Amino acid sequence: MISHRLTLEYTLHPGWLAPFVEGIASGNAMARRCKSCAGTSFPPLRVCLCSETEGEWVKLSGMAHILFRTSGQDGDFGLVQFDGATTKTTLRLIDIADEDTCGVIAAPKSNLPMLCLTRLPSGRST
Amino acid sequence: MQISDVMVTGAALTPFNRRRDGTGFRDWVVSAFGTALELSGLDRSDIQALYVASESDFFHLQLNPASVLATELGLTGVAATRCEGGGASGQIAVHTAARAIQAGAAKHVAVVGVDPSASSLSGDAIRELYGFSFDAWTDGMTGLTSTALYALSYQVFAAEHGTTEADLTTVTCQNRSNACHNPGAHLHRRDGPQEITDSPPIAIPYQRLHCSPLSDGAAALILSRRDAMPANRATAPTLAGMGAASDHMHLGARENAGSFAAKTQAMQRACAEVGIGPGEIGIAEIYDAYAGAQLQAIAALGLSAEVSRDLQAGAFAPTGRCAINLSGGLMGQGAPVGATGVGQTATCALILEGRYHPELQPQTLPRYALADTHGGVCTLAAVTILERGSSAL
Ligand SMILES: [Zn+2]
Repeated sequence: MISHRLTLEYTLHPGWLAPFVEGIASGNAMARRCKSCAGTSFPPLRVCLCSETEGEWVKLSGMAHILFRTSGQDGDFGLVQFDGATTKTTLRLIDIADEDTCGVIAAPKSNLPMLCLTRLPSGRST
Repeated sequence: MQISDVMVTGAALTPFNRRRDGTGFRDWVVSAFGTALELSGLDRSDIQALYVASESDFFHLQLNPASVLATELGLTGVAATRCEGGGASGQIAVHTAARAIQAGAAKHVAVVGVDPSASSLSGDAIRELYGFSFDAWTDGMTGLTSTALYALSYQVFAAEHGTTEADLTTVTCQNRSNACHNPGAHLHRRDGPQEITDSPPIAIPYQRLHCSPLSDGAAALILSRRDAMPANRATAPTLAGMGAASDHMHLGARENAGSFAAKTQAMQRACAEVGIGPGEIGIAEIYDAYAGAQLQAIAALGLSAEVSRDLQAGAFAPTGRCAINLSGGLMGQGAPVGATGVGQTATCALILEGRYHPELQPQTLPRYALADTHGGVCTLAAVTILERGSSAL
Protein backbone atom coordinates (compact mmCIF):
# COMPACT_ATOMS: atom_id res chain seq x y z
CA MET A 1 0.00 0.00 0.00
CA ILE A 2 1.17 3.51 -0.74
CA SER A 3 -0.15 6.77 0.61
CA HIS A 4 -0.13 9.74 -1.75
CA ARG A 5 -1.39 13.25 -1.20
CA LEU A 6 -2.49 15.19 -4.28
CA THR A 7 -3.16 18.92 -3.95
CA LEU A 8 -5.09 20.59 -6.75
CA GLU A 9 -5.35 24.37 -7.12
CA TYR A 10 -8.14 25.09 -9.58
CA THR A 11 -8.77 28.35 -11.43
CA LEU A 12 -12.41 28.21 -12.48
CA HIS A 13 -14.13 30.76 -14.71
CA PRO A 14 -17.90 31.14 -14.36
CA GLY A 15 -18.32 32.43 -17.93
CA TRP A 16 -21.96 33.21 -18.64
CA LEU A 17 -22.78 32.71 -14.96
CA ALA A 18 -20.51 35.61 -13.87
CA PRO A 19 -23.33 38.00 -12.81
CA PHE A 20 -24.85 35.22 -10.67
CA VAL A 21 -21.51 34.26 -9.11
CA GLU A 22 -20.48 37.87 -8.45
CA GLY A 23 -23.94 38.55 -7.02
CA ILE A 24 -23.58 35.73 -4.51
CA ALA A 25 -20.22 37.07 -3.34
CA SER A 26 -21.85 40.41 -2.51
CA GLY A 27 -25.06 38.94 -1.08
CA ASN A 28 -27.24 39.75 -4.09
CA ALA A 29 -29.63 37.42 -5.91
CA MET A 30 -29.05 37.96 -9.64
CA ALA A 31 -31.67 36.06 -11.63
CA ARG A 32 -32.34 35.63 -15.35
CA ARG A 33 -35.64 36.94 -16.75
CA CYS A 34 -36.81 35.41 -20.02
CA LYS A 35 -37.50 37.72 -22.95
CA SER A 36 -40.45 35.62 -24.11
CA CYS A 37 -42.36 34.42 -21.05
CA ALA A 38 -40.85 36.63 -18.31
CA GLY A 39 -40.09 33.44 -16.36
CA THR A 40 -37.37 34.34 -13.85
CA SER A 41 -34.89 31.63 -12.97
CA PHE A 42 -32.69 31.61 -9.88
CA PRO A 43 -30.16 30.02 -10.18
CA PRO A 44 -30.24 31.36 -13.72
CA LEU A 45 -31.00 29.13 -16.68
CA ARG A 46 -29.18 29.83 -19.93
CA VAL A 47 -32.16 28.37 -21.78
CA CYS A 48 -35.54 29.22 -20.22
CA LEU A 49 -37.98 26.41 -19.43
CA CYS A 50 -39.98 27.76 -22.40
CA SER A 51 -36.86 27.21 -24.63
CA GLU A 52 -36.09 30.92 -25.13
CA THR A 53 -32.38 31.75 -25.02
CA GLU A 54 -32.67 35.55 -24.84
CA GLY A 55 -33.14 37.24 -21.49
CA GLU A 56 -31.81 39.84 -19.08
CA TRP A 57 -30.27 39.89 -15.63
CA VAL A 58 -32.51 41.16 -12.85
CA LYS A 59 -31.78 41.66 -9.17
CA LEU A 60 -34.27 40.00 -6.83
CA SER A 61 -35.10 41.42 -3.41
CA GLY A 62 -33.17 38.51 -1.90
CA MET A 63 -36.03 37.37 0.33
CA ALA A 64 -37.22 33.78 0.10
CA HIS A 65 -39.85 31.46 1.60
CA ILE A 66 -38.60 28.13 2.94
CA LEU A 67 -40.60 25.26 1.43
CA PHE A 68 -38.62 22.27 2.72
CA ARG A 69 -35.56 22.01 4.91
CA THR A 70 -33.12 19.37 6.08
CA SER A 71 -30.52 19.31 8.81
CA GLY A 72 -28.02 16.87 10.27
CA GLN A 73 -24.30 16.12 10.12
CA ASP A 74 -24.11 17.50 6.58
CA GLY A 75 -25.43 20.94 7.66
CA ASP A 76 -28.69 22.86 7.18
CA PHE A 77 -30.12 23.18 3.68
CA GLY A 78 -33.42 24.17 2.14
CA LEU A 79 -35.56 24.20 -0.96
CA VAL A 80 -36.85 27.77 -1.11
CA GLN A 81 -38.84 30.14 -3.28
CA PHE A 82 -37.22 33.55 -3.81
CA ASP A 83 -39.59 36.48 -4.19
CA GLY A 84 -39.73 37.36 -7.88
CA ALA A 85 -38.39 33.97 -9.08
CA THR A 86 -40.48 31.40 -10.92
CA THR A 87 -38.08 28.52 -10.21
CA LYS A 88 -37.18 27.23 -6.76
CA THR A 89 -33.71 27.17 -5.25
CA THR A 90 -31.65 24.77 -3.16
CA LEU A 91 -29.26 26.50 -0.78
CA ARG A 92 -27.52 26.55 2.59
CA LEU A 93 -29.41 27.84 5.65
CA ILE A 94 -27.41 29.93 8.11
CA ASP A 95 -28.76 30.79 11.59
CA ILE A 96 -32.35 30.11 10.58
CA ALA A 97 -34.49 28.74 13.40
CA ASP A 98 -36.71 25.70 12.85
CA GLU A 99 -39.83 27.84 13.10
CA ASP A 100 -38.66 30.48 10.60
CA THR A 101 -40.53 30.31 7.32
CA CYS A 102 -38.48 32.86 5.39
CA GLY A 103 -35.05 34.39 5.15
CA VAL A 104 -32.80 36.63 3.11
CA ILE A 105 -29.77 35.91 0.93
CA ALA A 106 -26.44 36.41 2.66
CA ALA A 107 -22.91 36.84 1.33
CA PRO A 108 -20.88 33.71 2.12
CA LYS A 109 -18.00 33.82 4.56
CA SER A 110 -16.12 31.46 2.24
CA ASN A 111 -14.36 32.45 -1.00
CA LEU A 112 -16.60 29.98 -2.82
CA PRO A 113 -19.85 31.20 -4.40
CA MET A 114 -21.91 29.59 -1.64
CA LEU A 115 -25.61 30.31 -1.95
CA CYS A 116 -26.81 31.07 1.60
CA LEU A 117 -30.04 32.18 3.24
CA THR A 118 -30.00 33.72 6.69
CA ARG A 119 -32.62 35.03 9.11
CA LEU A 120 -34.39 38.26 8.36
CA PRO A 121 -33.48 41.32 10.42
CA SER A 122 -36.06 41.56 13.21
CA GLY A 123 -39.29 43.26 12.26
CA ARG A 124 -38.88 42.51 8.56
CA SER A 125 -40.98 39.98 6.72
CA THR A 126 -41.68 39.06 3.14
CA MET B 1 -31.33 -6.18 -35.77
CA GLN B 2 -33.53 -5.93 -32.66
CA ILE B 3 -32.10 -5.20 -29.23
CA SER B 4 -33.57 -8.58 -28.21
CA ASP B 5 -30.96 -10.16 -30.49
CA VAL B 6 -28.38 -9.12 -27.88
CA MET B 7 -27.82 -11.92 -25.36
CA VAL B 8 -26.15 -11.78 -21.94
CA THR B 9 -23.78 -14.72 -22.32
CA GLY B 10 -21.59 -13.85 -19.35
CA ALA B 11 -22.28 -12.10 -16.02
CA ALA B 12 -20.29 -11.77 -12.82
CA LEU B 13 -19.71 -9.55 -9.80
CA THR B 14 -16.85 -9.48 -7.35
CA PRO B 15 -17.85 -9.02 -3.72
CA PHE B 16 -18.70 -5.38 -2.95
CA ASN B 17 -17.06 -4.25 0.29
CA ARG B 18 -14.15 -2.25 1.65
CA ARG B 19 -11.05 -4.06 0.44
CA ARG B 20 -8.41 -4.69 3.06
CA ASP B 21 -6.55 -7.42 1.18
CA GLY B 22 -4.03 -5.32 -0.73
CA THR B 23 -5.81 -5.76 -4.07
CA GLY B 24 -6.59 -2.87 -6.41
CA PHE B 25 -9.27 -2.01 -8.94
CA ARG B 26 -7.41 -3.70 -11.80
CA ASP B 27 -7.45 -7.00 -9.87
CA TRP B 28 -11.21 -6.77 -9.28
CA VAL B 29 -11.89 -6.11 -12.97
CA VAL B 30 -9.70 -9.05 -14.00
CA SER B 31 -11.59 -11.28 -11.56
CA ALA B 32 -15.11 -10.24 -12.67
CA PHE B 33 -14.20 -10.38 -16.36
CA GLY B 34 -12.60 -13.82 -16.00
CA THR B 35 -15.69 -15.27 -14.34
CA ALA B 36 -18.05 -13.72 -16.91
CA LEU B 37 -15.91 -14.91 -19.82
CA GLU B 38 -15.85 -18.43 -18.40
CA LEU B 39 -19.65 -18.49 -18.18
CA SER B 40 -19.92 -17.29 -21.78
CA GLY B 41 -17.82 -20.18 -23.06
CA LEU B 42 -16.03 -17.71 -25.32
CA ASP B 43 -12.33 -17.12 -25.72
CA ARG B 44 -10.67 -13.81 -24.93
CA SER B 45 -9.88 -13.48 -28.64
CA ASP B 46 -13.64 -13.52 -29.42
CA ILE B 47 -14.14 -10.18 -27.63
CA GLN B 48 -14.16 -7.34 -30.14
CA ALA B 49 -14.81 -4.32 -27.95
CA LEU B 50 -14.53 -3.27 -24.32
CA TYR B 51 -16.81 -0.78 -22.55
CA VAL B 52 -15.64 0.50 -19.18
CA ALA B 53 -17.88 2.22 -16.63
CA SER B 54 -16.05 4.26 -14.04
CA GLU B 55 -17.39 7.43 -12.47
CA SER B 56 -14.30 9.36 -11.56
CA ASP B 57 -10.55 9.46 -12.05
CA PHE B 58 -10.41 10.98 -8.56
CA PHE B 59 -11.26 7.57 -7.07
CA HIS B 60 -8.63 5.36 -8.74
CA LEU B 61 -6.22 8.09 -9.88
CA GLN B 62 -6.08 6.57 -13.36
CA LEU B 63 -7.04 8.74 -16.30
CA ASN B 64 -7.97 6.87 -19.48
CA PRO B 65 -8.83 3.67 -17.56
CA ALA B 66 -10.38 1.92 -20.58
CA SER B 67 -7.04 1.58 -22.36
CA VAL B 68 -5.30 0.43 -19.20
CA LEU B 69 -7.97 -2.18 -18.49
CA ALA B 70 -7.90 -3.42 -22.10
CA THR B 71 -4.24 -4.28 -21.53
CA GLU B 72 -4.89 -5.78 -18.08
CA LEU B 73 -7.61 -8.01 -19.55
CA GLY B 74 -5.43 -9.22 -22.41
CA LEU B 75 -7.68 -7.43 -24.89
CA THR B 76 -5.11 -5.05 -26.40
CA GLY B 77 -6.22 -4.21 -29.91
CA VAL B 78 -9.97 -4.07 -29.23
CA ALA B 79 -11.95 -0.85 -29.41
CA ALA B 80 -12.01 0.44 -25.83
CA THR B 81 -14.47 3.08 -24.61
CA ARG B 82 -15.04 4.61 -21.19
CA CYS B 83 -18.66 5.47 -20.31
CA GLU B 84 -19.61 7.93 -17.57
CA GLY B 85 -22.88 9.31 -16.26
CA GLY B 86 -22.45 9.59 -12.50
CA GLY B 87 -24.36 6.84 -10.72
CA ALA B 88 -25.77 5.72 -14.07
CA SER B 89 -22.30 5.05 -15.54
CA GLY B 90 -22.65 1.26 -15.45
CA GLN B 91 -26.04 1.18 -17.12
CA ILE B 92 -24.86 3.64 -19.77
CA ALA B 93 -21.96 1.30 -20.56
CA VAL B 94 -24.43 -1.59 -20.92
CA HIS B 95 -26.54 0.50 -23.30
CA THR B 96 -23.57 1.64 -25.36
CA ALA B 97 -22.23 -1.90 -25.67
CA ALA B 98 -25.60 -3.41 -26.55
CA ARG B 99 -26.32 -0.77 -29.17
CA ALA B 100 -22.92 -1.51 -30.77
CA ILE B 101 -23.92 -5.15 -31.18
CA GLN B 102 -27.37 -4.16 -32.42
CA ALA B 103 -25.75 -1.86 -34.98
CA GLY B 104 -23.70 -4.77 -36.27
CA ALA B 105 -20.38 -3.35 -35.10
CA ALA B 106 -19.41 -6.44 -33.08
CA LYS B 107 -20.49 -10.00 -32.29
CA HIS B 108 -19.15 -10.22 -28.74
CA VAL B 109 -18.28 -7.37 -26.40
CA ALA B 110 -17.25 -7.06 -22.77
CA VAL B 111 -18.64 -4.50 -20.31
CA VAL B 112 -16.81 -3.91 -17.06
CA GLY B 113 -17.73 -1.50 -14.26
CA VAL B 114 -15.46 -0.62 -11.39
CA ASP B 115 -14.70 1.99 -8.77
CA PRO B 116 -12.74 1.98 -5.55
CA SER B 117 -15.26 4.16 -3.73
CA ALA B 118 -14.30 2.92 -0.26
CA SER B 119 -10.61 2.23 0.13
CA SER B 120 -8.75 4.84 -1.89
CA LEU B 121 -9.96 8.10 -0.31
CA SER B 122 -11.50 9.10 3.00
CA GLY B 123 -15.29 9.06 3.23
CA ASP B 124 -15.27 12.84 3.67
CA ALA B 125 -13.22 13.32 0.49
CA ILE B 126 -15.55 11.07 -1.51
CA ARG B 127 -18.60 12.90 -0.15
CA GLU B 128 -17.08 16.26 -1.10
CA LEU B 129 -16.41 14.98 -4.62
CA TYR B 130 -19.97 13.62 -4.84
CA GLY B 131 -21.18 17.15 -4.08
CA PHE B 132 -19.84 18.11 -7.50
CA SER B 133 -22.08 15.46 -9.12
CA PHE B 134 -24.77 18.14 -9.22
CA ASP B 135 -24.34 21.61 -10.73
CA ALA B 136 -20.90 22.42 -9.33
CA TRP B 137 -21.48 26.18 -9.45
CA THR B 138 -24.88 26.31 -7.80
CA ASP B 139 -24.95 23.21 -5.58
CA GLY B 140 -21.39 21.85 -5.26
CA MET B 141 -19.79 25.09 -4.12
CA THR B 142 -22.68 25.76 -1.75
CA GLY B 143 -21.68 22.57 0.03
CA LEU B 144 -24.96 20.82 -0.69
CA THR B 145 -24.26 17.15 -0.20
CA SER B 146 -25.80 14.29 -2.07
CA THR B 147 -27.70 13.25 1.07
CA ALA B 148 -29.11 16.77 1.61
CA LEU B 149 -30.33 17.08 -1.98
CA TYR B 150 -31.90 13.60 -1.87
CA ALA B 151 -33.49 14.46 1.49
CA LEU B 152 -35.11 17.61 0.08
CA SER B 153 -36.34 15.78 -3.02
CA TYR B 154 -37.75 12.94 -0.89
CA GLN B 155 -39.60 15.37 1.39
CA VAL B 156 -41.41 16.81 -1.63
CA PHE B 157 -42.29 13.26 -2.75
CA ALA B 158 -43.46 12.20 0.72
CA ALA B 159 -45.70 15.27 1.06
CA GLU B 160 -47.41 14.32 -2.19
CA HIS B 161 -47.52 10.51 -1.84
CA GLY B 162 -48.04 10.19 1.91
CA THR B 163 -45.07 7.89 2.47
CA THR B 164 -43.90 7.76 6.07
CA GLU B 165 -40.93 7.02 8.30
CA ALA B 166 -42.30 3.47 8.56
CA ASP B 167 -41.88 3.11 4.78
CA LEU B 168 -38.24 4.21 5.00
CA THR B 169 -37.77 1.63 7.73
CA THR B 170 -39.38 -1.13 5.67
CA VAL B 171 -37.15 -0.44 2.67
CA THR B 172 -34.05 -0.32 4.85
CA CYS B 173 -34.87 -3.55 6.71
CA GLN B 174 -35.88 -5.39 3.52
CA ASN B 175 -32.77 -4.47 1.52
CA ARG B 176 -30.40 -5.25 4.39
CA SER B 177 -32.21 -8.51 5.09
CA ASN B 178 -31.82 -9.57 1.46
CA ALA B 179 -28.13 -8.66 1.61
CA CYS B 180 -27.66 -11.12 4.48
CA HIS B 181 -28.26 -13.94 1.97
CA ASN B 182 -25.89 -12.45 -0.61
CA PRO B 183 -22.34 -13.59 0.22
CA GLY B 184 -20.94 -10.81 -1.97
CA ALA B 185 -22.80 -8.02 -0.17
CA HIS B 186 -21.01 -5.24 1.68
CA LEU B 187 -23.33 -5.10 4.68
CA HIS B 188 -24.42 -8.27 6.42
CA ARG B 189 -26.50 -6.69 9.16
CA ARG B 190 -30.17 -6.90 10.00
CA ASP B 191 -31.06 -3.33 10.85
CA GLY B 192 -34.26 -2.89 12.81
CA PRO B 193 -36.30 0.26 13.53
CA GLN B 194 -34.36 0.98 16.73
CA GLU B 195 -30.94 0.71 15.09
CA ILE B 196 -32.12 3.06 12.35
CA THR B 197 -33.46 5.61 14.85
CA ASP B 198 -30.27 5.40 16.88
CA SER B 199 -28.01 6.00 13.89
CA PRO B 200 -26.77 9.58 13.41
CA PRO B 201 -28.95 12.04 11.46
CA ILE B 202 -27.15 12.93 8.20
CA ALA B 203 -29.82 15.05 6.50
CA ILE B 204 -33.29 14.59 7.98
CA PRO B 205 -35.26 12.43 7.31
CA TYR B 206 -32.14 10.42 6.45
CA GLN B 207 -30.28 8.77 9.31
CA ARG B 208 -27.00 7.00 8.59
CA LEU B 209 -28.72 3.62 8.14
CA HIS B 210 -31.07 4.99 5.44
CA CYS B 211 -27.97 5.58 3.27
CA SER B 212 -26.01 3.23 1.00
CA PRO B 213 -22.36 2.60 1.93
CA LEU B 214 -19.30 3.52 -0.13
CA SER B 215 -17.88 0.28 -1.55
CA ASP B 216 -15.08 -1.20 -3.65
CA GLY B 217 -15.82 -3.72 -6.36
CA ALA B 218 -16.28 -4.62 -10.00
CA ALA B 219 -18.82 -6.32 -12.24
CA ALA B 220 -18.63 -7.65 -15.79
CA LEU B 221 -20.88 -8.75 -18.63
CA ILE B 222 -20.26 -10.48 -21.93
CA LEU B 223 -22.86 -9.52 -24.53
CA SER B 224 -23.24 -11.55 -27.73
CA ARG B 225 -25.21 -11.36 -30.94
CA ARG B 226 -27.91 -14.03 -31.06
CA ASP B 227 -26.61 -15.62 -34.29
CA ALA B 228 -23.11 -15.87 -32.81
CA MET B 229 -24.17 -17.24 -29.42
CA PRO B 230 -22.08 -20.15 -28.15
CA ALA B 231 -23.97 -23.46 -28.33
CA ASN B 232 -23.72 -24.01 -24.56
CA ARG B 233 -25.52 -20.74 -23.79
CA ALA B 234 -29.02 -21.53 -25.04
CA THR B 235 -30.50 -20.38 -21.70
CA ALA B 236 -28.88 -16.92 -21.83
CA PRO B 237 -31.32 -14.03 -21.28
CA THR B 238 -31.75 -11.22 -23.77
CA LEU B 239 -31.63 -7.46 -23.40
CA ALA B 240 -35.24 -6.82 -24.35
CA GLY B 241 -35.38 -3.05 -24.03
CA MET B 242 -33.38 -0.07 -22.85
CA GLY B 243 -34.20 3.55 -22.16
CA ALA B 244 -32.38 6.62 -20.92
CA ALA B 245 -33.39 10.22 -20.24
CA SER B 246 -32.24 13.34 -18.43
CA ASP B 247 -33.94 15.86 -16.16
CA HIS B 248 -33.19 19.44 -15.22
CA MET B 249 -29.90 19.71 -13.33
CA HIS B 250 -31.41 22.12 -10.77
CA LEU B 251 -33.87 20.44 -8.42
CA GLY B 252 -35.69 23.76 -8.05
CA ALA B 253 -36.21 24.19 -11.80
CA ARG B 254 -38.11 20.90 -12.07
CA GLU B 255 -41.87 21.02 -12.26
CA ASN B 256 -41.93 18.59 -9.33
CA ALA B 257 -38.73 18.35 -7.27
CA GLY B 258 -39.88 15.07 -5.73
CA SER B 259 -40.65 13.23 -8.92
CA PHE B 260 -38.00 11.29 -10.84
CA ALA B 261 -39.33 12.38 -14.24
CA ALA B 262 -36.25 11.21 -16.16
CA LYS B 263 -36.77 7.71 -14.77
CA THR B 264 -40.38 7.70 -15.93
CA GLN B 265 -39.28 8.73 -19.42
CA ALA B 266 -36.44 6.18 -19.52
CA MET B 267 -38.82 3.42 -18.38
CA GLN B 268 -41.42 4.36 -20.98
CA ARG B 269 -38.76 4.17 -23.69
CA ALA B 270 -37.55 0.78 -22.46
CA CYS B 271 -41.07 -0.63 -22.12
CA ALA B 272 -41.94 0.59 -25.63
CA GLU B 273 -38.93 -1.24 -27.03
CA VAL B 274 -40.00 -4.47 -25.30
CA GLY B 275 -43.70 -3.96 -25.97
CA ILE B 276 -44.76 -4.46 -22.33
CA GLY B 277 -46.00 -2.34 -19.43
CA PRO B 278 -44.25 -1.92 -16.03
CA GLY B 279 -46.73 -4.36 -14.49
CA GLU B 280 -45.04 -7.25 -16.28
CA ILE B 281 -41.72 -6.76 -14.49
CA GLY B 282 -41.17 -9.74 -12.15
CA ILE B 283 -38.03 -8.64 -10.33
CA ALA B 284 -36.17 -5.34 -10.20
CA GLU B 285 -32.80 -4.07 -9.09
CA ILE B 286 -33.57 -0.47 -8.13
CA TYR B 287 -31.17 2.42 -7.53
CA ASP B 288 -31.63 2.81 -3.77
CA ALA B 289 -28.87 5.30 -2.98
CA TYR B 290 -31.19 6.21 -0.08
CA ALA B 291 -34.27 4.45 1.30
CA GLY B 292 -36.58 7.20 0.05
CA ALA B 293 -35.02 7.11 -3.41
CA GLN B 294 -36.27 3.52 -3.73
CA LEU B 295 -39.82 4.72 -3.00
CA GLN B 296 -39.46 7.55 -5.50
CA ALA B 297 -38.12 5.08 -8.09
CA ILE B 298 -40.98 2.61 -7.56
CA ALA B 299 -43.45 5.41 -8.31
CA ALA B 300 -41.51 6.85 -11.25
CA LEU B 301 -41.02 3.45 -12.88
CA GLY B 302 -44.74 2.76 -12.73
CA LEU B 303 -44.27 -0.31 -10.52
CA SER B 304 -46.98 0.96 -8.16
CA ALA B 305 -49.66 3.62 -8.12
CA GLU B 306 -49.78 3.48 -4.31
CA VAL B 307 -46.25 2.97 -3.14
CA SER B 308 -46.79 2.92 0.63
CA ARG B 309 -49.76 0.53 0.48
CA ASP B 310 -48.03 -1.91 -1.90
CA LEU B 311 -44.77 -1.77 0.03
CA GLN B 312 -46.47 -2.57 3.33
CA ALA B 313 -48.51 -5.34 1.66
CA GLY B 314 -45.26 -7.06 0.69
CA ALA B 315 -45.48 -6.48 -3.06
CA PHE B 316 -41.72 -5.82 -3.26
CA ALA B 317 -40.57 -8.43 -0.73
CA PRO B 318 -38.65 -11.50 -2.01
CA THR B 319 -41.91 -13.41 -2.49
CA GLY B 320 -43.93 -10.40 -3.68
CA ARG B 321 -45.31 -9.73 -7.14
CA CYS B 322 -42.20 -7.72 -8.04
CA ALA B 323 -39.28 -8.55 -5.77
CA ILE B 324 -37.05 -5.50 -5.45
CA ASN B 325 -33.34 -5.55 -4.70
CA LEU B 326 -32.93 -9.24 -3.96
CA SER B 327 -29.20 -8.48 -4.05
CA GLY B 328 -29.64 -6.07 -1.15
CA GLY B 329 -29.44 -3.10 -3.51
CA LEU B 330 -26.98 -0.28 -3.01
CA MET B 331 -28.08 -0.11 0.64
CA GLY B 332 -27.12 -3.70 1.37
CA GLN B 333 -24.96 -5.05 -1.43
CA GLY B 334 -23.01 -1.81 -1.67
CA ALA B 335 -22.17 0.87 -4.19
CA PRO B 336 -18.88 0.89 -6.11
CA VAL B 337 -20.33 3.48 -8.50
CA GLY B 338 -19.11 2.33 -11.93
CA ALA B 339 -19.83 -1.30 -11.02
CA THR B 340 -23.37 -0.60 -9.83
CA GLY B 341 -25.29 -0.57 -13.12
CA VAL B 342 -23.22 -3.39 -14.59
CA GLY B 343 -23.73 -5.39 -11.39
CA GLN B 344 -27.50 -4.79 -11.41
CA THR B 345 -27.72 -6.07 -15.00
CA ALA B 346 -25.51 -9.04 -14.13
CA THR B 347 -27.73 -9.82 -11.12
CA CYS B 348 -30.88 -9.73 -13.27
CA ALA B 349 -29.25 -11.97 -15.88
CA LEU B 350 -28.13 -14.54 -13.29
CA ILE B 351 -31.61 -14.59 -11.70
CA LEU B 352 -33.33 -15.06 -15.08
CA GLU B 353 -31.15 -18.14 -15.66
CA GLY B 354 -31.61 -19.57 -12.16
CA ARG B 355 -27.93 -19.03 -11.38
CA TYR B 356 -28.26 -16.57 -8.48
CA HIS B 357 -27.36 -17.16 -4.81
CA PRO B 358 -29.55 -20.11 -3.74
CA GLU B 359 -31.33 -18.40 -0.85
CA LEU B 360 -32.30 -15.45 -3.06
CA GLN B 361 -33.02 -17.23 -6.34
CA PRO B 362 -36.79 -17.20 -7.05
CA GLN B 363 -38.19 -20.72 -7.48
CA THR B 364 -40.12 -19.69 -10.56
CA LEU B 365 -38.04 -17.81 -13.08
CA PRO B 366 -39.62 -14.44 -13.83
CA ARG B 367 -40.01 -13.50 -17.49
CA TYR B 368 -38.84 -9.89 -17.21
CA ALA B 369 -36.27 -8.24 -14.93
CA LEU B 370 -35.49 -4.55 -14.60
CA ALA B 371 -32.14 -2.91 -13.85
CA ASP B 372 -32.66 0.73 -12.83
CA THR B 373 -29.88 3.26 -12.34
CA HIS B 374 -29.53 7.01 -12.18
CA GLY B 375 -26.95 9.74 -11.68
CA GLY B 376 -27.43 12.98 -9.75
CA VAL B 377 -30.81 13.23 -8.03
CA CYS B 378 -32.14 11.33 -11.03
CA THR B 379 -30.71 13.96 -13.33
CA LEU B 380 -29.70 11.19 -15.70
CA ALA B 381 -31.66 7.92 -15.74
CA ALA B 382 -30.87 4.67 -17.54
CA VAL B 383 -32.90 1.47 -17.29
CA THR B 384 -32.57 -1.95 -18.90
CA ILE B 385 -35.23 -4.65 -19.20
CA LEU B 386 -33.98 -8.22 -19.57
CA GLU B 387 -36.05 -11.17 -20.75
CA ARG B 388 -35.63 -14.81 -19.74
CA GLY B 389 -34.11 -16.94 -22.50
CA SER B 390 -36.59 -19.11 -24.34
CA SER B 391 -34.74 -22.28 -23.24
CA ALA B 392 -34.29 -21.24 -19.62
CA LEU B 393 -37.30 -23.06 -18.17
ZN1 LIG C 1 -39.29 31.68 -21.07
